Amino acid sequence: MTTYILRRLIQGVVVLLAVSMICFIIFRYLGDPVLTMAGKYATQQEIEEVRRAFGLDQPTHVQYGRFIWNALHGNFGKSYVSRVPALGLILERFPATFELAFTAMLIALTLGVGLGVLVSLNPSSWPSRLVMAGSLGGISIPTFLTGVLLIMIFGVYMGILPPFGRGETVQIGFWRTGLLTADGLKHLVLPATTLAMYQLAVLLRLTRAGMREVLAEEYIKTAWAKGLPPGKVIVKHALRNVLIPVVTMAGLQFGELIAFSIVTETIFQWPGMGNLLLQSIYETDQPVIVTYIMLAAFLIITINMVVDILYAVLNPKIRYD
Amino acid sequence: MTKPRTRSKMFHSFLHDPPAMAGSAILLVFVLAALCAPWITPQNPYDLQQVSLEHFLKPPIWMEGGEAPFVLGTDDQGRDILSTIIYGCRTSLIVGFSVVLIAGTFGVLMGLLAGYYGGWIDVFSMRLADTVFSFSTTLLAILLLGVFKKTGIVTVIAAISIADWVRYARTMRGSVLEVKEEAYVMAAKATGARDFRLLVRHVLPNAIPPILVVVAVDLAVVIMLEATLSFLGVGVPLTEPSLGMMISIGKNYIYAGMWWMVVFPGAALILLVVGINLFADWLREELNPKIGR
Amino acid sequence: MRSKMAILLVGLLTLGFLTAAQAAAETSLVVAVDTPPRMMNPHGDDSDAGLSFMANFFDGLLQRKGPDGKLVPALAERWEHPDLLTWRFYLRKGVTFHNGNPFNAEDVKFSFERLSNPEVSEFLNTGKSIDSITIIDDYTVEIKTKTPIPWFANNLHQIFIMDKESTEQRDPGDVMIHPIGTGAYKLVEWVKGSYVRMEANENYWEGAPAIKKVEVRPITESSTRFAALVSGQADIMTGVPVELFEKVKANPKVEVISRPARRSIFLALGNKPGDPWADIRVRKAMYMAINEDEIIEKVMRGHATPAAQIPDPPTIGYNPDIKRLPYDPEGARKLLKEAGYENGFEITLTGPNDRYVQDEKIAEAVAKYLAKVGIKVKLDVKPKSIFFPEVSEGSLQFYLIGWFDGTFDMGRTYFKLAHTRDDAKGYGGLNGTSYSDPKLDQMLEATADMVDPAQRKKALEELNKYAMEEKIVWIPLHYQEDLYAMQKDKGIVFQPRPDRWMVYKEIGVK
Repeated sequence: MTTYILRRLIQGVVVLLAVSMICFIIFRYLGDPVLTMAGKYATQQEIEEVRRAFGLDQPTHVQYGRFIWNALHGNFGKSYVSRVPALGLILERFPATFELAFTAMLIALTLGVGLGVLVSLNPSSWPSRLVMAGSLGGISIPTFLTGVLLIMIFGVYMGILPPFGRGETVQIGFWRTGLLTADGLKHLVLPATTLAMYQLAVLLRLTRAGMREVLAEEYIKTAWAKGLPPGKVIVKHALRNVLIPVVTMAGLQFGELIAFSIVTETIFQWPGMGNLLLQSIYETDQPVIVTYIMLAAFLIITINMVVDILYAVLNPKIRYD
Repeated sequence: MTKPRTRSKMFHSFLHDPPAMAGSAILLVFVLAALCAPWITPQNPYDLQQVSLEHFLKPPIWMEGGEAPFVLGTDDQGRDILSTIIYGCRTSLIVGFSVVLIAGTFGVLMGLLAGYYGGWIDVFSMRLADTVFSFSTTLLAILLLGVFKKTGIVTVIAAISIADWVRYARTMRGSVLEVKEEAYVMAAKATGARDFRLLVRHVLPNAIPPILVVVAVDLAVVIMLEATLSFLGVGVPLTEPSLGMMISIGKNYIYAGMWWMVVFPGAALILLVVGINLFADWLREELNPKIGR
Repeated sequence: MRSKMAILLVGLLTLGFLTAAQAAAETSLVVAVDTPPRMMNPHGDDSDAGLSFMANFFDGLLQRKGPDGKLVPALAERWEHPDLLTWRFYLRKGVTFHNGNPFNAEDVKFSFERLSNPEVSEFLNTGKSIDSITIIDDYTVEIKTKTPIPWFANNLHQIFIMDKESTEQRDPGDVMIHPIGTGAYKLVEWVKGSYVRMEANENYWEGAPAIKKVEVRPITESSTRFAALVSGQADIMTGVPVELFEKVKANPKVEVISRPARRSIFLALGNKPGDPWADIRVRKAMYMAINEDEIIEKVMRGHATPAAQIPDPPTIGYNPDIKRLPYDPEGARKLLKEAGYENGFEITLTGPNDRYVQDEKIAEAVAKYLAKVGIKVKLDVKPKSIFFPEVSEGSLQFYLIGWFDGTFDMGRTYFKLAHTRDDAKGYGGLNGTSYSDPKLDQMLEATADMVDPAQRKKALEELNKYAMEEKIVWIPLHYQEDLYAMQKDKGIVFQPRPDRWMVYKEIGVK
């Protein structure tokens, strides 16, 4: 077991290193951030001076080594645009993204699993068919289009929900939350729905497929035959087996969630990390982009590792591959 | 793995599945329209000689101020919306099929080698695949394009392919692992057939069916992804047609009440993806041995 | 109940959406602007968007006031220019910083020296042009420049004075986010991505400002900014998108303000020997092929005025005699034929797509007009973060760009944009096509140490005429118009500035 965990840890570190190296090499050959940092009227000499000041005149491997060394000390460099530490800049935006993603995931999981179960019990009833048609729509409408259409309908034509920003927020320690004010909650509705839509449809379809397989199994048939109450059969026997892959899937979709939060935040001008990333891409703010990528990689790899290790603990058979 | 159904049986079931037929019909119409775009569109919206600012921001033809031949109206550069949609679908389909081809071929190859040979190829490629997969195609494509900084159809295809091949590799590997143990493969191996021959003649054809489902689903995913990237401004450049770009331009006009610049391209995109997904759903059911029909 | 009524009204009259509109106190203001601040360090961002925030927290030695942008004293009560290199400033007494520290000559010296620190400054060019800063007494400072800089004082409204003591004591990271200046407003809270809140500095040396609380919300998406205004979430918006202007104007609750902007939009065209467009006839043909009136009408929706040159009328060097070439596609074709390019040629038009009003649309339109006379234009539009570095490299063929000079003197602009590239001397840094004309260089260099206003004006006007009429260094398009909108019933008295800065002490209430 220990060897397994150790091996996964080492693999994780290797992947992180590879990610950082690739980022670094690509950035080396793209765009020169110094030009804009010296100001409109700077001469060539002044530009070179800025280059030296930020250590960008040194060879790539030196810069890379310094980056890794600093990163190990929690220092990911300063943003070229706002000239403050990139990590802080990103973490400052974390609560906004977390609240959005968490709400969306909550909606997707409860509605997705709930509807998935209902649909699988009565596959040919017309509400089920309607839900299934809806889920087909759900996986066929890209998130950005959902967002634009929701803004158009609820923001512009009906005018009942605010289409941008986070609204009124409250600062609690380091955490700035929009969940405690009515205005903040109102602002959350459209973006959270947008972000949840695709995941909801995916989870719904997954639950339904799983339920259909499980309901066809012998032990369920036996349970029905024994005359156990339907609720017990469905929840205790069927759903429990279906839920594991569904929840795992939801966990592994973390990368997807981050990706679509970038899209959603951009459309709704949500002041989160995704919005910052895209803005940094437009502005070629390399330290922020690299930090974001490293942070995302770190989170994703950690989550995967935890999932894998939990699996190995729960199911001793797959431990050593 | 149960033996795949025979072709005629599959075709029969296809004919008895209206959603699948509808889906394929939609896809066919889109493909035909895209192929014939230069002949059926009233205007080539990206030929600068043909587009004129004179006809900008016209509403659809049935509304007040609408004007022939701009059936669905025009955008702010005087481009005909219908023509732009058709040319945009062309981009969608080119990107979709190219990625499926490139990422599919590479992924299938990696999966085949990993599954058949095992060993370090397996460990290496699957570890790589795991990482790429957990980043998700969308995130990876956004990051790659953000880093590349060069927009264009080719760049988009490259970025999505790099992010997308793992889907195929993983499915293929699983499929190969099962096929490898089948009696006929073992038998062929016992007769001393060479690896290459074995792979091409026996393993590949029998391991491919699950890949077909992935192809169908992936086509839809890639088309949506291209639209998303172009919408975000990291995909296809302004000078080339794209549904995502159209919606991104149209979004600025929804407050001015000019809904047609978002709704029509959006509807086209949804229709195209729904069509592909309908077909994919049928294919999945058809090839899934666990659910009898 | 009241807010419900408001919603109904907004919903009916416009296409607003729900707001948390509390009846705002009269002396508070919510402003939706187009660009977020990058930092609160007054020297770290030389863009007008950034300076627009800083101008509220800080003061310069001089300032530009109100709608005409006249240069008037601020932290310096008066100044002298005894010789070509020397500038002497007599400082205002009794001014304090937000933290209570008194303002004196030490702060001025510190701030100007800080300009040449590349880690915190984008005003390196100004910083490096200074030879020495001498404190004569607590309230007198003498600055000597290395070379004569005729426009030195003209730039001083952009150089803000920081508190020496607290800036040195604080963590450098804190200096980037907490402004401590002498300005009319103090920062209350900056939530990145959401808003900047500020409150009046009651001890301001010019007297406390009328508006007591200001919330600035940067909303980059113009249509969203528009939505914020019509729904009542914002009192003033900057940068009304031209495509929505009519919509805003039709709204009875909203008042629109437009003012001619200083910035001109133009096309820079290279003259590398051998390129078809090095031929003056081809340059003329390209100029004549572009229907600028239609661009103004259709792309700019009427919100621009045709330009015949780069500087705007108040700038020294503006020459009223320069006229636009007429729109004449036939004539253009004839000229192309004469030059031997009857069948046209290919050229790449580069441009930003997120910098100027309708920038990419203008580029598209230009490509269309040129296509109609047979010139094949390859369009290459990209975000400004990629575009401007390309301009600095100087290898473009043809590109769209906009410019205005904060100093109201064309000399510096011409050195930067038109002089033959010379890295050692720092000339032609933004001459993106590497345009080169020896006579122009000569005329320009002759103005470098001309300080006599009349003589300088004459020389620059001649130079300008030569560049625009004889050489067609650039194809001018138009001057932009700045568009603002505000709530009518709020009683706000607002006159936009020529530099687009939002300076809240200049805004009044009825």
